[in-house]
Amino acid sequence: MQSSAPAPAGTIEGVARVVRVSGDVAWLEPEQTTSCGSCAAAATCGSKGLATVAARLERRRFAIANSTGLAAGDRVVVNVGERALLGAALLAYALPLMTMLAAAMLAHAFKPGDVIAMGAAALGLLAGLGVTRVVGRRLEARGRLAPRFVRRSAAPSDCDAR
Amino acid sequence: MGEYALMIVGAALVSNVVLTRFLGLCPFMGVTSRTDTALGLGFATTFVITFSAMANWAVESFLLQPYGLAYLRTATFILVIAASVQFIEMAVRRTSPALFQMLGIYLPLITTNCAVLGVVLLLVEGRMGFVDSAVFAFASALGYSLVLLIFAGLRERLAVADVPALFAGPPIGLFTAALLALAFMGFSGMTTH
Repeated sequence: MQSSAPAPAGTIEGVARVVRVSGDVAWLEPEQTTSCGSCAAAATCGSKGLATVAARLERRRFAIANSTGLAAGDRVVVNVGERALLGAALLAYALPLMTMLAAAMLAHAFKPGDVIAMGAAALGLLAGLGVTRVVGRRLEARGRLAPRFVRRSAAPSDCDAR
Repeated sequence: MGEYALMIVGAALVSNVVLTRFLGLCPFMGVTSRTDTALGLGFATTFVITFSAMANWAVESFLLQPYGLAYLRTATFILVIAASVQFIEMAVRRTSPALFQMLGIYLPLITTNCAVLGVVLLLVEGRMGFVDSAVFAFASALGYSLVLLIFAGLRERLAVADVPALFAGPPIGLFTAALLALAFMGFSGMTTH
């Protein structure tokens, strides 16, 4: 997923393709969705999950300001700050996980029983996702979650090694 | 609490998913070129492994065992893992679309990774309760993430090291992984978990 050229310090780069341009906004789709990330052309990879590649990419579509005359089909490099990405991963995955586990363990400590612990875990997960929602909206309002355009990218080879 | 601490040490270090059980090697080699992406993927994988383990524990306890459907275990677990990943993606997307889009560019979620399935199958062997299963899965995922992070740090240093052309790239990465596995063998025997 990352481009072969090294990213500037403190940022992480990714490659996306322009799928639509409407006015001053260009809509992009990230180029691959595999867990290994080592192959941009891995359409037959087994780690796609239940949805098709196209459906998954469409869900991940995002917009950037089109100040450089991007056209549909262009490949571009976008970046975000390292801290922003880690913060996002922490917020989206680690926080709900911790609240889910903590709720299950607390419930088990007070009243042992698998069903009670499962219910508490579900409530903990919902609470964690609620906090994620609130904090995510604040970060979005500050523009911390928006990828930035870096440069146009060359056409991919069959297998872009990381 | 002490029992949980022992379980975490045992699952994360002594019986490490990658270096002792050799599961999940694809992301281990594929996404460990930078520490930041490795850490981000570690968070994502920890969530997926723990959540899938909880979901599969419920399926095993309330469906497969009571109705004598153990022969469907592997296929069912794979389906539940894939469904769990879809659920997590959907939950994050509903919770914060901007967060989901940003993570989708850089940290696609693991789906049918063998480490996820491996941990769930280990839980069935262990015949643990719900909370113990969740803690064991969390600890296994923590160990997986720890190894991803350590290996990414080593590869960042290798990228600027003067490696002979014959060993540059994946070969030196595999040698490093072997040395890391040897180092983790030092933990063996610390706990029985």
